[in-house]
Amino acid sequence: MADQAMLVRTLVELADNLVDDFDVVEVLSLLSGRCVDALDVNAAGVMLASPTGSLQVVASSSETMRTLEMFQLQADEGPCVEAYRSGQPVVNVDLGATGGRWPRFASHASSEGFGSAHSLPMRLRQRTLGALNMLRTQTGAFGTADIAAAQALADIATIAIVQHQAADDAQALNSQLSAALNSRIVIEQAKGRISEATGADMDHAFRILRNHARNHNLRLTALADQVAQRNIDIGSLDTLPPPRRPTARW
Amino acid sequence: MPAERLVRVLGLLVTGGAPGGRRLCEVAAQVTEMSGAGVMLLSEDRPQASLCSTDTVSAAIEEAQYTLGEGPCVDAHRQGTPIIEADLAAAGPSRWAAFSTCALDAGARAVFGFPVRIGTVRLGALNLYRDRPGALGDDQQADALVMADVAASAILAAQSDGYPGELGVDLEADTHVWTVVHQAAGMVSIQLDIPVGDALVRLRAHAFRTGRPASEVARDIVERRLHFDPGT
Repeated sequence: MADQAMLVRTLVELADNLVDDFDVVEVLSLLSGRCVDALDVNAAGVMLASPTGSLQVVASSSETMRTLEMFQLQADEGPCVEAYRSGQPVVNVDLGATGGRWPRFASHASSEGFGSAHSLPMRLRQRTLGALNMLRTQTGAFGTADIAAAQALADIATIAIVQHQAADDAQALNSQLSAALNSRIVIEQAKGRISEATGADMDHAFRILRNHARNHNLRLTALADQVAQRNIDIGSLDTLPPPRRPTARW
Repeated sequence: MPAERLVRVLGLLVTGGAPGGRRLCEVAAQVTEMSGAGVMLLSEDRPQASLCSTDTVSAAIEEAQYTLGEGPCVDAHRQGTPIIEADLAAAGPSRWAAFSTCALDAGARAVFGFPVRIGTVRLGALNLYRDRPGALGDDQQADALVMADVAASAILAAQSDGYPGELGVDLEADTHVWTVVHQAAGMVSIQLDIPVGDALVRLRAHAFRTGRPASEVARDIVERRLHFDPGT
């Protein structure tokens, strides 16, 4: 039976980790450890799919569990692999039964003393990110309440990972935004320097900058930065005749 | 209930005006019942640009922070927490040595800054002001927090359609980087033969000393009415 107090504490811990800048591996290790503490299981681990779709062991409650998870990946069979591929829970599989669905994994896990395997997909909408894997020394049915509690923990971990990815996107976009603003500023500074040094107005200063960048196959921002940083002599920029003024009317 | 506040804000954003930076600030001022609002983009620790401001007072508050590098948005961005100054006049220059005077001169009596961020990614700050002193009520504060979140999402969404190295199309149209100030800094850097960063400091110091907005001083430099001489 699930330890309610421990479950609540785990949920709070996971939620805390969600808001701060967190490490995915740390959160999933916490999840694996707490599954063992709070649920009626003896070992737990998490596998996540890489962007190319291949599963990787990310966290395990014990070294034995890690070895068994690695074995699943090598043998390409086992509860975690199946839950990930099907996107469906795989629960209450008796490892002692002969001729089972994962003969190699079952014999390996049995030899380590485990009696039954359970795996829950980590899903968000249409996407399966990985699976939470749990092993028990006993055979027989895993309680429905325990399965529901384990799924709740897996769901929270899933949301954490998705949010983390969104935050990574946000970081990239923010850096891009900041760099774009900065290049605008640098271009204005370069225009100011060219304008003062040559007597050109700002529009013409910009044309001088752009013309030199084109002639020498330089990025406008890179050239502007050189000018603003005083790394290039303004006198060495290609000259450009000022545009013909409209004829004055009088 | 944050969901209800969010629905209200989104409802206002999609109706009653063209979407974009300007509408974002109008809705911010409206839902929080403030005299005006603005959104600033900040980098590490400095204002980089203004996304919007509802009126001249709000614009002056943003420019003062841009010029002086201090104020509620700068603090909110650095500290990652809301900044409340319910009575600028009573607090005096102890709160912000130079900004407070500028904000009071512009007509603000209370100023507030809310960090605009997603998770740990800090984009800038929402700036609210009121033309009379007074704290924020719980509802106003809750609405301001929702508004800051909406601004963060809106900014990232707008940037996500930009090419690498460029601003997103909507941001290109809305953001204000006080171009004239940087043009003038470039000119002063030639006049005094100093780095552009130092020239910007000199320009800001001149603006502060003469009690004028930096952009006004900059305009004088660019239009060659003001010249910095070495040794003065």
